[in-house]
Amino acid sequence: MMQPLPSTQQSWVVCERCGQSHRWVALAPRAVARCVRCDAVMARGHRLGPQSLLALTLAALIVFLIAHGSDLVTIRLAGAEQRTTFPMAVATTWQQGDHAVALLAAATAIVAPALFITLRLYILLPLAMGRMAPGFAACLRLLFHAAHWNTVEVLTVGALLALVRIADLAQAAPGPGLAALGVLALLLAAIESAGLRHLWWHVP
Amino acid sequence: MNAAAGAAAAPQAPPRWLGCACCGLVSEVPGAVSSCPRCAHVLHWRKPMSLQRTWALLIAAAVLYVPANALPVMHTTQAFRSAEHTLLGGIAELWHDGAWGLAMIVFIASIAVPLLKIGALALLAWSAQHAPRWRRLERARIFGLVEAVGHWSMLDVYVVVLLAGMVRFDALASAEPGPGLLAFAAVVVLTMLAAHSFDARLIWQEPQTDE
Repeated sequence: MMQPLPSTQQSWVVCERCGQSHRWVALAPRAVARCVRCDAVMARGHRLGPQSLLALTLAALIVFLIAHGSDLVTIRLAGAEQRTTFPMAVATTWQQGDHAVALLAAATAIVAPALFITLRLYILLPLAMGRMAPGFAACLRLLFHAAHWNTVEVLTVGALLALVRIADLAQAAPGPGLAALGVLALLLAAIESAGLRHLWWHVP
Repeated sequence: MNAAAGAAAAPQAPPRWLGCACCGLVSEVPGAVSSCPRCAHVLHWRKPMSLQRTWALLIAAAVLYVPANALPVMHTTQAFRSAEHTLLGGIAELWHDGAWGLAMIVFIASIAVPLLKIGALALLAWSAQHAPRWRRLERARIFGLVEAVGHWSMLDVYVVVLLAGMVRFDALASAEPGPGLLAFAAVVVLTMLAAHSFDARLIWQEPQTDE
């Protein structure tokens, strides 16, 4: 079994939602442990160790750079062509004077996934080689707080909607960034579903 | 705490063992607040001022919900004609264009979810104090749902930001965010923070006998 058992001091697990204590059992892959009282998901059995998580996170980094570095949409209107990436759209919003909205969009769709990926790489690279990164605990706490604000999947649907809304105004074609955004949303969801807590079991 | 209060509050006494929300370690906690011995994340028996913070954020969100829907979220110019678009107006446009599925998605994300979130959290915060034993499992499930769907309301914020970035043809055509968008973004963030402030353990707390 890929999943190491927690040490003896960790033979209890407390539901994060309602505070109910449970005795720990090792989970088979794909099994889900739910709280007996409030039915919230407490843990998932999974096959992903630090090495496979590292591979997925590296893939996510590359896809992230493509998603925000290449065109989401190309627009043609009266002979003029306009290419748009998401960071460019945020910059335009900032220039138009709506600073708060621009900051919120940048924080949730660019900074949060960037933190999600870079912090994981920072702890997973040494962990995959059996070492513990300096500031390991602080990174995990930051990841714990940043997790709620990652909205790449919402941005993906938003980009599709913008494409539809623009269609009656100008000729619009999806760019490579849009596909990358969709892949990024799936990759982040896969990495996220593995959770963070089990990383402590691999700490030497 | 004096001896009499200690005796009266005995059923409500903090448990000795708390699980860390961040790393999962279960550790022995002497008081109501401590920090995780493994990852140093703060351990609360209950989130401090949970209901007060939830109510404050909810009221702010409910107030801002009005300008978010009444004011235009987008201002467009096309061939020297300008137009204002509200949230509902944008949905109506999609509906008239025949994009019913998309109109439904935007309606759910932008109108229904924020309203249902405010209502659900108000119900949870109210019942935690006034109907503590009422339908606990259903309330716990509602809270899980509110937490899971919260960020989907950001949808319209991204659509407007993207349209503003896409339509930049100077006098020919342009799109700009309107004042309603800021109010709407604030509603989304405030309801997310309100869900975050609510301590779901309150749903399972036994009512205090000395109250």
